[in-house]
Amino acid sequence: MPWKQGYTISDEKSLADADLRWPDGRRCCLAITVDLGLARSGAGIGAADLTDDRARFGLAEGLPLLRGLLARLGLRATFAVPAVIAEVLGGAALRGIAAEGHEIAAHGLCQEDVSGLAREEERARIARATDILAGHLGAPPAGWFSLPRQADPFAGGTISPHTMDLLLAAGYAYFGNGLADDIPHYWVTDFATRRAMLTLPYYYHYDDQFFLLFPDKGTGLEHADALARNWRAEFAAQYRRGRYFHMTLHPHAIGFGHRLRMLEDVLTEIARQPGLWNATGTEIALHWRETWPAETSLQLKPSIWQDHPGSLS
Amino acid sequence: MAATADPDIAELARAARAHLARHRPLVAPGQAPRWPQGARIAVNVTADFDAMLLRRLLNEPPMQLAKGEFGGRVGIWRLLDLFAAHRIPATIFTPGRICELYPDALRAAVAAGHELADHMWEHHVPRDRQLELDHLGRTGAALERIAGHRPVGTRSAHTPSLLAAAGFLYTSHDCAAHLPYYLTDTEGAHTLLNLPFHYALDDAMFYSFAWLGSANPAQRITDTDRVLEMWWDAFRQQYAAGGYLNIVLHPFVSGRAQRIDMLDALFTRMKTLPGVWFATCEAVARHCLATHPRS
Repeated sequence: MPWKQGYTISDEKSLADADLRWPDGRRCCLAITVDLGLARSGAGIGAADLTDDRARFGLAEGLPLLRGLLARLGLRATFAVPAVIAEVLGGAALRGIAAEGHEIAAHGLCQEDVSGLAREEERARIARATDILAGHLGAPPAGWFSLPRQADPFAGGTISPHTMDLLLAAGYAYFGNGLADDIPHYWVTDFATRRAMLTLPYYYHYDDQFFLLFPDKGTGLEHADALARNWRAEFAAQYRRGRYFHMTLHPHAIGFGHRLRMLEDVLTEIARQPGLWNATGTEIALHWRETWPAETSLQLKPSIWQDHPGSLS
Repeated sequence: MAATADPDIAELARAARAHLARHRPLVAPGQAPRWPQGARIAVNVTADFDAMLLRRLLNEPPMQLAKGEFGGRVGIWRLLDLFAAHRIPATIFTPGRICELYPDALRAAVAAGHELADHMWEHHVPRDRQLELDHLGRTGAALERIAGHRPVGTRSAHTPSLLAAAGFLYTSHDCAAHLPYYLTDTEGAHTLLNLPFHYALDDAMFYSFAWLGSANPAQRITDTDRVLEMWWDAFRQQYAAGGYLNIVLHPFVSGRAQRIDMLDALFTRMKTLPGVWFATCEAVARHCLATHPRS
């Protein structure tokens, strides 16, 4: 086994708190992801997902309400937009979001699960999604997200063995949701050349969809209070360490009445803290590459792994 | 019908009685064990350091592996920092394979005085006895290369006779009693001390999505405020009873920043009380074997 492929995607140890640096001597990075996906399962966004009460609420009420809240608090977010949703909203609406200081990133063609796709099929879908977004925005997006759907068996998002390599080849500057660290890190696709995708952290404990269930009812997962406590506790911990706090928001979930008010309370407290660097995905990626280029900062150790009969390879 | 059911019931009752007889409590019911220096309670802080290994074994997808990788990149180091800040000697239950994936973290754990114990070679016990022996031996050798000696404890379902032959003093899984207890195997041939842990004191029960195939509506992902109060309550009860607590952490779960803060708060609270004995599982096991030998 070359390196630790199939087990790890990056080097053995994260950057220590004391070694982290944010622009202008800021203390902690604040990253907000707004997921405009409406897919319920790995099949991706279909007609039913776009023509029900949830779709209408999310796009017509939740989204403007959430944008209004972010604007009032002076906060900027990265919007993860499936290409089909870009077609629904149209270029003017997307550019309107960008004009508020937010970034528009890609979130698949239809937010579908690509893990079983042939490489060429996945390459074609990435190209198609990129073209659609570029057509609306005037330039291709720099970031790609594969965020989880609520009904996924795992809450980390789905990719294929080819995804990172294809995204690098397609010119993407960063991948938006990795779980191996709580700060940006490199997802290595080739040990020898240090070919790597810069990956921003994601964790489902800070993603509203796993705590809020509008309008799916009766599943026992309406725990808005737990979500708010998670956000507060993680922010406090990361702010003290000088690291990175992120949250993932779905307008169809968090945009609903009392939940949006809860978010406003949390974000108001957070935004009050001095020394925050509230940045979008591209800004974070740029800072990271400049400060810790993969070529010089990755500490990949050769594998000492050995194959044994009766053991995993 | 009753005639055919009766023998079954008798057989069930026999099996249950034999099962109960295999468990020998450390002290008689209602009594408290004698802990060193008159301590009120023994606390084992344990970490199951499987990182992504179990996810890999179960053929889970890439993001699940990355979730586990957090434990090796970040979580284990934070736990070591936390244990050092509180001067808590911990036990790291380590699959042998982790010695090849995260040797530096394990060396740091040993240098800080923590115990490395067996957690299977690749987080499972093979059915084939010869392969099981092979795995047990490989893990022992791998841990020895890091720690300088073979492990004396395991958290596994390894066969008791193989554990006994390999010199193990204790196991730590299942919760058939509040206190450590002697567990004799079904053949009645080998007895091992068990340091029990309760799943209500296992971080993975509260912070994991997709816990071993559970359905999405069954997820119990909760927050640290709630878990802090639950675990504090469990500690207070055992403290009052003069008992034992075994806390199970996973670096990829409890290594998250907010959970490190929660553990910091929990340990800080515990230390406000006198007579709390924080020790490695090995220290507790050796004390139990010496002070409360199997009668």
